[in-house]
Amino acid sequence: MELLEFARGPVLTFAITVFIAGITYRVFSLFLMWRTKDSSAGRKRSRSAFASAVREVIRRLWPQAVYQQRTMFELVNGYVFHIGLAIIVFLLAPHIVFIKDLVGLSWPALPNNVVYAVSIITMVSLIAALVMRIANPPQRLISTFDDWFSWIVTFLPVLTGVIATSHLGARYETLLALHILSVALLLIWIPFGKLMHFFLVFVTRSQTGAHLSHRGAQL
Amino acid sequence: MRDSAAPCLSEMSTGMASSVLAEIGRMLDTLAGSDEPGSIDLRSLPLSDADRAQLEELLGRGEVSAELALAGDSEVWETTYPGVWWIRHRGAGGKIASEVISVCRIPEILMTHPADIEAAASRLREKLETTDV
Amino acid sequence: MSDKKTLGEMLTERGVSRRSFLKYASYTASILALPPTAATAIAQGIANARRQSVIWLSFQECTGCTESITRAHAPSIEDLIFDFISLDYHHTLQNASGHLAEEARMQAMKDNAGEYIVIVDGSVPLKDDGIYSTIAGITNLQMLEETCRDAFAVISVGSCATFGGIPGANPNPTGAVPVSDIITDKPVINISGCPPIPEAMTGTIAYLLSFGSVPELDHLGRPKAFFGEAIHDRCYRRPFYERGMFAKSFDDEGARQGWCLFEVGCKGPVSYNACATLKWNGGVSFPIQSGHGCLGCSEPGFWDMGGFYKPLSTAKGDPLQWAGGAAVAGAAIGAASAAIARNKRNKVMKEGK
Repeated sequence: MELLEFARGPVLTFAITVFIAGITYRVFSLFLMWRTKDSSAGRKRSRSAFASAVREVIRRLWPQAVYQQRTMFELVNGYVFHIGLAIIVFLLAPHIVFIKDLVGLSWPALPNNVVYAVSIITMVSLIAALVMRIANPPQRLISTFDDWFSWIVTFLPVLTGVIATSHLGARYETLLALHILSVALLLIWIPFGKLMHFFLVFVTRSQTGAHLSHRGAQL
Repeated sequence: MRDSAAPCLSEMSTGMASSVLAEIGRMLDTLAGSDEPGSIDLRSLPLSDADRAQLEELLGRGEVSAELALAGDSEVWETTYPGVWWIRHRGAGGKIASEVISVCRIPEILMTHPADIEAAASRLREKLETTDV
Repeated sequence: MSDKKTLGEMLTERGVSRRSFLKYASYTASILALPPTAATAIAQGIANARRQSVIWLSFQECTGCTESITRAHAPSIEDLIFDFISLDYHHTLQNASGHLAEEARMQAMKDNAGEYIVIVDGSVPLKDDGIYSTIAGITNLQMLEETCRDAFAVISVGSCATFGGIPGANPNPTGAVPVSDIITDKPVINISGCPPIPEAMTGTIAYLLSFGSVPELDHLGRPKAFFGEAIHDRCYRRPFYERGMFAKSFDDEGARQGWCLFEVGCKGPVSYNACATLKWNGGVSFPIQSGHGCLGCSEPGFWDMGGFYKPLSTAKGDPLQWAGGAAVAGAAIGAASAAIARNKRNKVMKEGK
């Protein structure tokens, strides 16, 4: 019980504080960074910078035909675990209760056993992603600490959540505490590694879209 | 006492009765073979009220039944399957305190304990000495 | 008590037959989750035992535990336990008072040295030399140490004696500690709960009496027969949890339909007790059946678990207490690092010229 109280109390407060500070730090340092003024007139373009940005975001949701064959597995697998994680985080009743308590918003939940099944699929998908990274020599070569660590902190909350739900190995309060601790670790890491893409992914793609259209790329 | 609108699992049959019956069957075989008795504590099983009623009905009531007046009522009866006894002890407010199915020749609770026999003998002697019959 | 007769002999004289012992044993075996065949051994054990001397010490407590164990029922099988024990000292229940009461305690300790059981309800204050609770001129700590010295076993009843309970809750002004923090040289059986289930208390005493040993305990010193499973795992509302059907408030449709109370703060998943099986008031009901979530009263620190109505999956306290400061600090550091980078760049550009 004491571990659970420690996790639910001080650890979670600390993690959320670091998370918020980290996110604002990243956002402010990025947006206030100098931008090289592009003095060129730019090519004649068919649509505005904003429209190009939106177009780029949408275009990148699915790869170009030439790449599809080679990247199909990574693509589908990526979607599976991203959607899986979203379902787990936002549609499990105890999670919604957590969010409601935090910010006051709530919405309907999925039955626990449905989310349980989604969690299993998500874990399999995450493991597949890891195996791909290890099995593919060039990918392994370019992998850094950030890649490996980000995988671990993403996988752990799902794993501990599933173990806690199925009461495996230890008492529920201990398992629940481990789950919360793993989430705390994830929250602390998000702003400082590649997981920041949860926030920046569409920002960077918009920027790319606007920039390329200025240069006159036909996309 | 329970809100009648609230659904309660105790009203649902879970099929536990038939597994208890199977267990009783195995115990009867043992009793027939090696004269070794066995028993099942019904309170320790996740039986719903419906399961319990079903089990009682399936076993039925046989030739012997006894009522015991000891610290609250108790009932003991042999079911329609000789050797299978149902022992129901009631406690405070007539609530069931313990409910056991005993597979044996005769339940221990019906037999008189030697200590009680001794006490009875001395009590009777006392009675004879102090009163004229 | 200096009765050297066995309980069997004693009660036979009073016209209580061995069948009653057997009936009691059958009931006890059932609540202790022992196989029904153990009933014969329990009956034999109790019949051969001497009447058990019990000294009941009440420290920082509310008498709720005594209320629970003495709940009036019609004389019945459940109450036979009171014939098996000799309650030689208990503030609230004994006739004697003042120094006569203390003499009764001393006498019982002398007559039954090494054999008596000490039951404690209430926590023991240690702060400022324990002056916050005294009885007969001595502190609770002194009385506990003195009384337990020659005891056979110690039973802590209620969450105050087992884990500190309400007196030990934050900020714990009296420095209250559980009995197990003080008595470390002999078995301390913890029967937690606020109050504990009467059958858990009497069943444990019956076990000690018939087997002369301590029942199997969990990592918190509680008998596994009563504290082996979480309320949640034995709850009749559990299927609603799995299906995601929750009462969102105490008077909505879900509450009326008897759905799971997790979202209104039920602590059933982390509370270990026999409420869902033995129930209360002779098996009538238990909190969840009556429509209120479990408070977790049998768990250490239940008073400080962050609120009875806050769901278990929420954070404890206010996790956003530093959110504003964190955002400002993050923004400031971000802006500063951007400014530094700009500066550096401008400098390089100038020098380049």
